[in-house]
Amino acid sequence: MVPQRSVLIVDSLEETREVLRTALEERGLRIYAASQAEKGLALARKHHPDVIVLDLDFARTSGDDSTGDEISSGFSAESQARATPLVVLGSARRGQSSLPSGEFVSKPYHYAPLIRKIEELLDQARQPARKAS
Amino acid sequence: MPSLFVFRGQDQGVRFELDEDALGLGRDPSNPIQIHDNEVSRRHAEIRRNNSIFTLADLGSSNGTFINGRKLSPRERHTLASGDEVQLGSTLMLFTGSEDEEDLNLSDKINIIHGKDSGDHSRIIRAMKQEEGSQILMGDPGNSASPWLARARSNLQVMYRTALAVSHTLDIDQLLNRIMQLIFEWVEADRGCMMLLNPESGVLEPKVRRTRKGLSEDKISISKTILDYVLEHNEGVLTSDARDDQRWNPAASILQMGICEAICAPMQGRYGVVGVIYIDTSISPQRIVQQGSATKFTEEHLKLMIAIAHQAALAVEDTRYYSAMVQSERLAAMGQTIATLSHHIKNILQGIRGGSFLIKEGLSRHDEGMVGKGWEFVEKNQERISSLVMDMLTFSKEREPELVPADLNSVAADVVELMNVRAVERGVELVLVPEGHLPLLTFDPEAMHRAVLNVVSNAIDACDRETMNREVEPEEEEDDFLDDGNETREIEPAIVQASQTPLEPRVGHVEVRVEYAPAEGMVRVAVHDNGCGIPAGEIDHVFSLFVSHKGGRGTGLGLPVSQKILKEHGGRIVVTSEPGKGSCFTLELPALLPEAAPQHTLSGQKIEG
Repeated sequence: MVPQRSVLIVDSLEETREVLRTALEERGLRIYAASQAEKGLALARKHHPDVIVLDLDFARTSGDDSTGDEISSGFSAESQARATPLVVLGSARRGQSSLPSGEFVSKPYHYAPLIRKIEELLDQARQPARKAS
Repeated sequence: MPSLFVFRGQDQGVRFELDEDALGLGRDPSNPIQIHDNEVSRRHAEIRRNNSIFTLADLGSSNGTFINGRKLSPRERHTLASGDEVQLGSTLMLFTGSEDEEDLNLSDKINIIHGKDSGDHSRIIRAMKQEEGSQILMGDPGNSASPWLARARSNLQVMYRTALAVSHTLDIDQLLNRIMQLIFEWVEADRGCMMLLNPESGVLEPKVRRTRKGLSEDKISISKTILDYVLEHNEGVLTSDARDDQRWNPAASILQMGICEAICAPMQGRYGVVGVIYIDTSISPQRIVQQGSATKFTEEHLKLMIAIAHQAALAVEDTRYYSAMVQSERLAAMGQTIATLSHHIKNILQGIRGGSFLIKEGLSRHDEGMVGKGWEFVEKNQERISSLVMDMLTFSKEREPELVPADLNSVAADVVELMNVRAVERGVELVLVPEGHLPLLTFDPEAMHRAVLNVVSNAIDACDRETMNREVEPEEEEDDFLDDGNETREIEPAIVQASQTPLEPRVGHVEVRVEYAPAEGMVRVAVHDNGCGIPAGEIDHVFSLFVSHKGGRGTGLGLPVSQKILKEHGGRIVVTSEPGKGSCFTLELPALLPEAAPQHTLSGQKIEG
């Protein structure tokens, strides 16, 4: 029995959360969403989603600078610990953050390609599991 | 434009243009010339204009009105002359009358001549370096100096202060004009001009010229030799076209023509020479006979001119440096502005794309609900763009409020009605408390609508559902419920309001209250929210451009725009806040009853320095 895969979306923009939820739920995925970065991190730690979509600009400006860094490194740690692909949405330069295993999508982006990218990452993550069994 | 310039006192830097036939001066806000000074009476003095003559009279003030240090007697009307110092309480102002209309192109009025072409036989009588000349400002005011010099010296202090103060508000040409005016008042020159060195070409360019009234406006011819000497040696010179022996013992030959004396001083600033000041005078044959000598300008005149030229140079440097500095600051601010604006516009664009995507998907699956949702997003973002643009426009222009009699209660009511939908969506209670006894007041209703709207919008954001953490998005909670009902509490962030337990939801509440305080002459709109409050250190930054504290939602323009609008009305916004409990933004403005308000008082005349 394949457990339902899930995606976590952390973004302050309601439109992004809504669009991704609509498109991905329709593809049989379970969605966790947070509009605040700290909450997002808590959800990640709790539910271990298969893919995390994170608005980096937002995470960084959520609190003061130190909190911002804590948060992005929190996500980074989470992502590395469980080999969870991280899709980072942002205007910032890629090299700026300490987020390694990441796909970087610069704003403004189109939703269709983003959704495809998320599906791709989910498939890739699934492959090893299949092989094992 | 004749004006009164405040160079000492709380209103320092303010310049009042005198463009009415009658202008009251005093502490009361109804005065066109309102002076913020406790020693000034509410209705202290009055300036009247008759044709181009300005007169000043005291209106029975408690502490009196002083002109050039002398107290005006009760019924006296003093005719104001350029350079007059007017004192009310501890506030000192300088009166300047109409400026002469100066041609911008002075090149055909001032001539630099080479050699002895035009028969100019002037020679240098006395040369002096700047340090020696400037000593004139340092010495003891009282000793050995002639009364003329003592007064000139004290006036020079005034001029210095004025020149430096005004250099922030006027451009170089006006500044130089003013200095020239003052020179003519102290020194009996017939003609004068100021030339500035063009920083790029290194050539002297005439900027200002002046001729004493009644004299012919011939070209001023200045010997290049002398100019070169002045610039090269950095010395002020006194020249005369009489031979040495004849200056003190005039011979018959010169009695026919008279003598021309001149002073040319380098404008030496901190970094170098910025130009020269030149003045000359003719000594008529009659005068020569009367005095028994052919001299007029003395060494004291030379010293004074050198000192003036030095101060003028400093002022010019300040103006240039200041404008260069302002320019570069503006560019930096512009860069920051563009970066921040593009960030906000990107988000709006993202929202529109989101909406469009849902519409497209909805159409292809015949899912009306999805189409509807997508359309909602598109509309919302249209509103956002519109607000952003409106705020940008409001902020960028120098505006005069359009003052009409209006009802502040209805302005507040309109805003509340408009914001109600959004408040409900966000789970915020929005309440209006109008003022019971509120007469029609004079203000710009559209502008005040915008000002109140931005503050109320901010308040709603400060205590909406999400910020208060009462309820995160329903789906989220549902998901967690399915997993493990007990853990709901865990997912709330560590930052919990000090005054509440995690389980107790706080409902966002915004109150808009209109208050009229006729005793203070003020009317207020107080917007109170029970949101998370603003830490003490951040309250000052609340009105900073583009620093948005709403996690990316606000544009950061809203509050600065509101503050600007209140300032245009002669009012302000006061912020008080208690972290964890809430904040209160009070928009305060002078309550002007329609009949009493002069047409242009609020912001028209004052130019803040």
